[in-house]
Amino acid sequence: MSNSRQTPRPALALLAPVALAAAFMLTGCGLGAGATPSGVHLLITREFGARTLHSLRAPAVRGQETVMSLLLRNAAVSTRYGGGFVQSIDGHHGGYEGGEPVDWFYYVNGVEASKGAAEVNVHAGDRVWWDLHDWGQTDYIPAVVGSYPEPFLNGIDGRRLPVRVECAEPEGAACRTVAGRLRDAGVPAARALLGPAGVGPESLRVIVGTWSQVHRELGVQSLRGGPAASGVYARVSASGATIELLDDQGRSVRTLGGSAGLLAATRYSGEQPEWIVTGTDPAGVELAAHALDEADLHGRFAVAIAAQSSTPATGPSATATGSSAATTGAVLALPQPDP
Amino acid sequence: MSALRRSSPESGSHAGSGAFGRFAPMLYRPLASPLHATRAGIAALWALSLMTGALLLYHPLALAALIAAILLAGYGAGVGRELARALRTALIIGLPIVLVNVLVSREGLTVFARLGDLGPFGQGNLTVEALAYGGVIALKVTVLVLITALASLAIDPDALLRICRRLSFRSALTTSLAVRMLPLLAADAQRLAEAQRTRPDGAPRGARARAALLGAVVAGSLDRAMDVAATLEVRGFATAGRAPRQQRPWSRHDLAFLVSAVAVLALALLGRLTGVAAFTSYPLLHVPFGVGLLVLCAALALSVLLPFADRRGIEL
Repeated sequence: MSNSRQTPRPALALLAPVALAAAFMLTGCGLGAGATPSGVHLLITREFGARTLHSLRAPAVRGQETVMSLLLRNAAVSTRYGGGFVQSIDGHHGGYEGGEPVDWFYYVNGVEASKGAAEVNVHAGDRVWWDLHDWGQTDYIPAVVGSYPEPFLNGIDGRRLPVRVECAEPEGAACRTVAGRLRDAGVPAARALLGPAGVGPESLRVIVGTWSQVHRELGVQSLRGGPAASGVYARVSASGATIELLDDQGRSVRTLGGSAGLLAATRYSGEQPEWIVTGTDPAGVELAAHALDEADLHGRFAVAIAAQSSTPATGPSATATGSSAATTGAVLALPQPDP
Repeated sequence: MSALRRSSPESGSHAGSGAFGRFAPMLYRPLASPLHATRAGIAALWALSLMTGALLLYHPLALAALIAAILLAGYGAGVGRELARALRTALIIGLPIVLVNVLVSREGLTVFARLGDLGPFGQGNLTVEALAYGGVIALKVTVLVLITALASLAIDPDALLRICRRLSFRSALTTSLAVRMLPLLAADAQRLAEAQRTRPDGAPRGARARAALLGAVVAGSLDRAMDVAATLEVRGFATAGRAPRQQRPWSRHDLAFLVSAVAVLALALLGRLTGVAAFTSYPLLHVPFGVGLLVLCAALALSVLLPFADRRGIEL
């Protein structure tokens, strides 16, 4: 009996290391640095994107990088807690500035990660954005628009998600503009009537419509709560007739009336991010739709768009005359700088 | 007190082969070596200087030079075997330091293996930098362990306590008694363990045996503490004043080890401040090697070892 127990089983002996190696490979393990992701962008800014410190379209990448290692390789960084928390980048330190707490936050493809930078791998085409900003109002800004056409083009966490443009008026000009802009950016997007039908939890929604048409959508509702609820430094009046622009302290800096648009991203209760293209009226929505442009949105957390004639620029960091929006409206960065 | 006198320091070095079998403290023995012949204060200063040097330096070659020099110094002091044992202990401490640093640190950039997602520890990217930094810390710990062992073996604790006695008599007396009790406790443990094994119904085993032994040793030590306190009281220790300064002429060994201590400290500072022994672990490993570094390492080793070259006047 004891002899039979000790008899080696060649098949099992052969299979065990093979299975182990397969498991090792499947779980992302291996020797060496791993495959190098291509097309990675790295943006380092401060004050909600108002000041650019680095904008690297081809940062140094060696093998499989995490968000942290990508940063360490391309900037002078000091870290804390065993390299898990960024304390400073190029001499810009987290801590307190003017009595307000400031720290470094990062977004991958415009989405705030729930994990530390050392836990998140960089994938091909990812746009990594580090920003040093005041989090006295909120430390929760779940999504930003400044990495457009991400997250639509390469998705989240290396996984491309279906994109659905949901419009109050699917045949309206704004809806067609949004779908067209996405198509031009290489993103196939389905157009649909606004509503929950057919919405999967694993899809990216772009909601298009006037405030009065879209305000019942769950993600849109969070905008009413201001920055603390949505991470968007703007507040739309209950009637939807005006858009109040806030500074980084949550104070109202200016109010847009007439035809004005708002283009922002937020996230409702752990679902995938939602982009909101809205306005005070159909013309405002169209202004916002036209602002869906890489040049206009680059490095912005969210934008408000005012008709050019009615709203002069308040400063160089506050406005941009984008390729398309310049002809129709002034793109105002959110949060607005303190006047 | 008679019990204190009866016990020799050697009795502790091989005491406790029963349940306390692995407890073999490194204790001072008077030997014929330059370090033993040096006054305790200077020898302690020399040891402290080497420790400071190890804390100041990060270059692995400089730390390796210090380790080699200390091991040779141990042989020069006649305690080479004990230091070899201390080296094994240091390796047991150092290896986990390296492993933990490799697994936890995320500041390095040269990945040599990927373990996938390790949950709270992030992506398990093992880097050369984390390995190197862990190794450097392990080397530092090794130096500290070796120096501590050498100091314990070669510096007379009584002489050290005499220095303390002038500063605080009661503290020095308490420390002195505690140090003296250590070999006694080990001897007690050995004796009790042997008695335990001779019981006709068989000795208890495992944790129960150790707990019983520990209880007996603690109870015995409390009894002895009461006896010692009474003895000290009777002999008038409570009224003792500040101890007089002991005049002792400086020997050549005192001077040699003092110069050695200053030289080691100066060389470590020089290496640190001039960048000759520069070492950057994060984010990319940078370990420069040059003639300056080699000279520094040689000078460090010579500074540690030269006092041992003079063997005159070290007879017991």
